[in-house]
Amino acid sequence: MSDLQLPHINYAALAPMLILFGAACAGILIEAFVPRERRYPVQLGLSLAGVVAAGVAVITQAGTRTITAGGAIAVDGPTVFLQGAILALGLVALLFVGERSLEAGGPFVAQAALIAGSEPDRRQVVRPGATEVYPLMLFAIGGMELFVAANDLLTMFVALEVFSLPLYLMCALARRRRLLSQEAALKYFLLGSYSSGFFLFGIALIYGFAGRVDFAGIHAAALGSDRSNALLYGGLALLSIGLLFKAAAAPFHVWTPDVYQGAPTPVTGFMAACTKVAAFGALLRVLYVAFDRVSWDYRPVLGVVAILTMLVGAVFAVTQTDLKRLLAYSSIANAGYLLVGVLAMSKDGLSSSMFYLVAYGFTVLAAFGTLTLVRDADGEANHLSRWAGLGRRSPVFAAAFTFLLLAFAGIPLTSGFTSKFAVFAAALDDGQTWLVVAGVITSMVLAFPYLRVVVMMWLSEPAESTPTVSIPGVLTSTGLAIGVAATLVLGLVPAPLLDLSTKAAEFVR
Amino acid sequence: MTVSDVLLLGLGAVAVGAALLVVTTRHLVRAGLYLVVALGAVAGIYLVLAAELVAWVQVLIYVGAVVVLLLFAVMLTRAPIGPSEDLDRPGWPALLVGGGSGLGLAALLVDAYRWSTVDRDQVGDAQRLGTEIFRSWVLPFEVLSVLLLAALVGAIVVSRPEVGRARPRPPDRGER
Amino acid sequence: MSLSAYVPILGLFALAAAFALFSVTVAPFVGPRRYNRAKLEAYECGIEPTPQPIGGGRFPVKFYLTAMLFIVFDIEIIFLYPWAVSFDALGAFGFVEMLLFIGTVFVAYTYIWRRGGLDWD
Repeated sequence: MSDLQLPHINYAALAPMLILFGAACAGILIEAFVPRERRYPVQLGLSLAGVVAAGVAVITQAGTRTITAGGAIAVDGPTVFLQGAILALGLVALLFVGERSLEAGGPFVAQAALIAGSEPDRRQVVRPGATEVYPLMLFAIGGMELFVAANDLLTMFVALEVFSLPLYLMCALARRRRLLSQEAALKYFLLGSYSSGFFLFGIALIYGFAGRVDFAGIHAAALGSDRSNALLYGGLALLSIGLLFKAAAAPFHVWTPDVYQGAPTPVTGFMAACTKVAAFGALLRVLYVAFDRVSWDYRPVLGVVAILTMLVGAVFAVTQTDLKRLLAYSSIANAGYLLVGVLAMSKDGLSSSMFYLVAYGFTVLAAFGTLTLVRDADGEANHLSRWAGLGRRSPVFAAAFTFLLLAFAGIPLTSGFTSKFAVFAAALDDGQTWLVVAGVITSMVLAFPYLRVVVMMWLSEPAESTPTVSIPGVLTSTGLAIGVAATLVLGLVPAPLLDLSTKAAEFVR
Repeated sequence: MTVSDVLLLGLGAVAVGAALLVVTTRHLVRAGLYLVVALGAVAGIYLVLAAELVAWVQVLIYVGAVVVLLLFAVMLTRAPIGPSEDLDRPGWPALLVGGGSGLGLAALLVDAYRWSTVDRDQVGDAQRLGTEIFRSWVLPFEVLSVLLLAALVGAIVVSRPEVGRARPRPPDRGER
Repeated sequence: MSLSAYVPILGLFALAAAFALFSVTVAPFVGPRRYNRAKLEAYECGIEPTPQPIGGGRFPVKFYLTAMLFIVFDIEIIFLYPWAVSFDALGAFGFVEMLLFIGTVFVAYTYIWRRGGLDWD
């Protein structure tokens, strides 16, 4: 047995993941050995440095096209682009997570499982929060990096678990409204593990069909295998359910509003931006690399899913009275628009979807970032009625939020317009007119709830109980500035990033 | 029919029967114990299919550790010894979805394989899996350790207060 | 087909099952019946059980941590079997990979130890 072929490992290609996981391990050792008072600055610095270093490692990989680590990792244009996107969005999310000036001790509590409302639970609300969230964030970001680079289904599954588990945990740590937070975490965990089960069963069926789990092998087997095609279709269906769950597409979206509402707002922003990139990155790779030969068979099905997702997101967003839930349904609708781009099944579809992910990610991060600022004595005031008249009290803040909402609504000169235009154009080129029609109609429906918030902020009289807008700390200000600036710049001059995504839009098989 | 066929059919019947009992029983603890039977029968199926290591992993991890964790989880709740009437909501939607997808998948698999036979010429023993893990699956294997690390950190964050704080809990008080 | 290697184990299973059935069915007929306090104790289970909340109470959450520790290290041990069996073929590469794996899980161990997860009270 001494003729064992050892896998060739390209460590430069793995460097982003290695850096992030290494920094996370270091963070956990810091938790173990550094005194409690000093942990927060050390952890924050370490995690920011880790993400930046991983970003540098990603940039050095630009132009690489290789499959390494025993076929587990594919580094190509989309991998580098999406990894860079996750790191950039993750960095902004870390800024919101690290903010401690809005609320003493930060947006997290120290211990998740205390019975909500009990004596020890009320005591921990005024104590400094857990600094474990920083290593957990790094684990999540590292898992997402691996998720979009995975070149076989097993690696993809392990990566899925690595980034999901920290998210389940962080959902349970909200400082205010503890019961809601615990409910969110439990719901997300149970439904998430259920969807992981689907994903795993899909892998089993596809292995039964192809005898392999790597994407090139599945691609080759789709041409002709001595097994029944039912295995292939069944496997793809189950696999897609697992991925669409993470992407929050209907009818697998049911967890989204509750989880987005209950989770700490910075974590919600992180989920809305980065989880979406990771889920769609993986979906793109699975559909474009492994299953492109059967695309004529699954496109109608996924097309129906896309329309359903857009409809559900838009229609239910109209009825929401809580801003976090409103943004959650908007995030569902955006998953639908992304699916339209994905289903174009062309180079344009790929590049426009990737552009959309980045543009939407920055906008949604900034939107959830602004939600953390509007506060009263009980924490964030997210109910729509509480925002009445905010425009008169804090015009600058309200103007920024209005701009973000207009971007969500797809008004020209914002990134929301350019990105929607890009995905719809790609779909039209490919003859998917029905999807584009549905997309345009639902966009118009979806504009209504956004504009209602705008009208409420500017045209209503501020009531006695209108909450105050906190002065953001350095971290939140930076995050908000980045988010708003990206929304503006990608709306005004989208060409550089569009070029970049077009150049990157080629998978390696 | 060979001995293996008989064994597979028997073990499969045990697994499905025990699984049905898991979801229909009104005793929470018994459901956990029926789960042991179901998982054990699945381990037997692995063994008959010549997946030796996987079979023993199933026994050690699932029958051994996961069920223990499950029973601990039951104890952490209101420890319902005896039947619990409020255990289930109306079961028919779950029955429809679970039974439907279960039967659908079974039909799919039966249709896909019909009467084709598979050779069990290679035994999935520890040596073969060891070389496979380190030749083809090194990266997922290493990332698994990261997953385990995250899980343990999560367990602490969920359940353990910071040390160094005064510990006012009397040891006999149940909940914290 | 290596299934024949398991025939002795199956035999042992059958023997154990037969013994258990035999003891349980025969004991009521042939055993003496002298009840006292000692008979109500848990039989040969080592130390006295920890005080338990009777009816409606909950167990402390520290049991959960113990169970998690058990399951994580159980999984770690499992991977040592295939590694150890094919150690000769894997050589230094396998050794380093396994060190990395154990090292990562050991980080968790250090963390739990420092955070007092190993203290019972």
